[in-house]
Amino acid sequence: MKSNAVLSSWSMGNTDISRSIEAIWRIESAKVIASLARMLRDVGLAEDFAHDALVIALEQWPRVCVPDKPGAWLLTTARHRAIDQLRRRATLTRTHDMLGHELDMEQEDSNQPFETVAREGIDDDLLRLLFVACHPILSREGRTALTLRLLGGLTTAEIARAFLVPEPTISQRIVRAKRTLREAGVAFEIPSADERQSRLASVLEVIYLIFNEGYSATAGNDWMRPALCEEALRIGRILAELAPDDAEAHGLVALMEIQASRFGSRVDARGDPILLFDQDRTRWNRLLIQRGLNALTRVDALKQTRGPYVLQAQIAACHARAAAAGDTDWPAIEGLYAELVHLTASPVIELNRAVAVGMARGPAAGLALADQLSAGGALDSYHLLPSVRADLLQKLGRIAEACSEFERAATLTQNERERALLQRRAAACMRGTV
Amino acid sequence: MSYMLLIVEPSGQRDARTLQQGKEVYQRMLDYGESLRVKGVLVDCNSLRSDDAVRLNVRSGKATFTDGPFAEAKELVGGFFLLNCRTRDEALEYARQCPAAEWATIEVRGVGPCYL
Repeated sequence: MKSNAVLSSWSMGNTDISRSIEAIWRIESAKVIASLARMLRDVGLAEDFAHDALVIALEQWPRVCVPDKPGAWLLTTARHRAIDQLRRRATLTRTHDMLGHELDMEQEDSNQPFETVAREGIDDDLLRLLFVACHPILSREGRTALTLRLLGGLTTAEIARAFLVPEPTISQRIVRAKRTLREAGVAFEIPSADERQSRLASVLEVIYLIFNEGYSATAGNDWMRPALCEEALRIGRILAELAPDDAEAHGLVALMEIQASRFGSRVDARGDPILLFDQDRTRWNRLLIQRGLNALTRVDALKQTRGPYVLQAQIAACHARAAAAGDTDWPAIEGLYAELVHLTASPVIELNRAVAVGMARGPAAGLALADQLSAGGALDSYHLLPSVRADLLQKLGRIAEACSEFERAATLTQNERERALLQRRAAACMRGTV
Repeated sequence: MSYMLLIVEPSGQRDARTLQQGKEVYQRMLDYGESLRVKGVLVDCNSLRSDDAVRLNVRSGKATFTDGPFAEAKELVGGFFLLNCRTRDEALEYARQCPAAEWATIEVRGVGPCYL
């Protein structure tokens, strides 16, 4: 009996340590990979050696103990592995390139380990890693997978679960992305000033794609989907710290914080979506809203031209500031949408503007804009166009037209729950109840 | 997932420090908070004063206030860090890195409803 208890407490301790190592890996891996990538000039190799260090840690730490500075330990170990391997290969091939790496590495090795390197150095490496993982030569899928893997420390299996695709698909995307970077000889550098805005746009796009992938999944019960939102927020917050002078980075963070504040109130007990205006605003997370508003204050202090993320965040902030749906500052939102339409020329944004105009100046003005969009034809298969038109027509008392637009919207949507909602609204029109 | 790290200090510990020592300890905690912020996991944090505590309860509609210091209390909550991280193990690892773990106790609590 007694030995049993000892045994179980021992193995319990052991399980705990492997879970701690996993947690340490998630926390530290991005920095380790980033530092290695700068030395090796190859993200794929950097990840391989960082992973070797993790395997050694899993083998050694349970026997000894977790080192005081586990991140520094992982980096030093990975660095030694890399030097050994490159030296071995270099004696075989003696290529110039590899010798160059070897020398770089040895010079690095004689330097202080990572906790004593100025924070700036590591920050720059992390920012470089983010820029490389989101490089525009990669496909969108490749960028998101690589970012989650390298910056988020997620496993291939976790990424696959989050995106609802088979694991080999994600593996392939990551392998292909790393190969593309290697073959293109992408420099492990922070982009130069003239390139910076477009490269940053790509980083922001990837982070927001990750966020939306998690946010739009109202039906998924899988915890990995909301975890994507948290991951995007975390990476976004890191970016805002690394690139504090880029207003759009703060804009994106603000947008995600405010959207995340509504996470718990946007579906009902049956999992049906609740529209923004019908949500219980007392359940919005005030702390996240405040964080979003604070990020916008930092944007204001930078005094830059408002970009698309800043504008979207300011629209979200208008909603967040209204204690009740009726208190919403629609004229302000309409103005922000006008600016956003000007910047993006997106018909979806134009449709949102029509909604805002409908609220600020009345349904007839909103409908006039929506009708222009219908005539344009760009949104022919987009269910929200007939849905918005239906709503405005209903407010104008044109019930028969509203009814047929709700029905058309219902046939266009891919989402079952949304279809049911639109059909209910069509039926309510038919009965003459609103 | 949100986790709260509560810094549980022995009562009287703060008074035993010189002003200089107190400032040093505080600076280490500020640096720690900053390290969490740049990692994108910090939602909020703060230090709590220990000289102005009041306890109150309402029983049968009557509010009773008790001013601190509370003689029976052996420890006090000296501050908090609210984190947003993926797992409890990660929260524990962040707690392990907290300087206050050396002189106080860090209590790690998940955020959730009270009836669970």
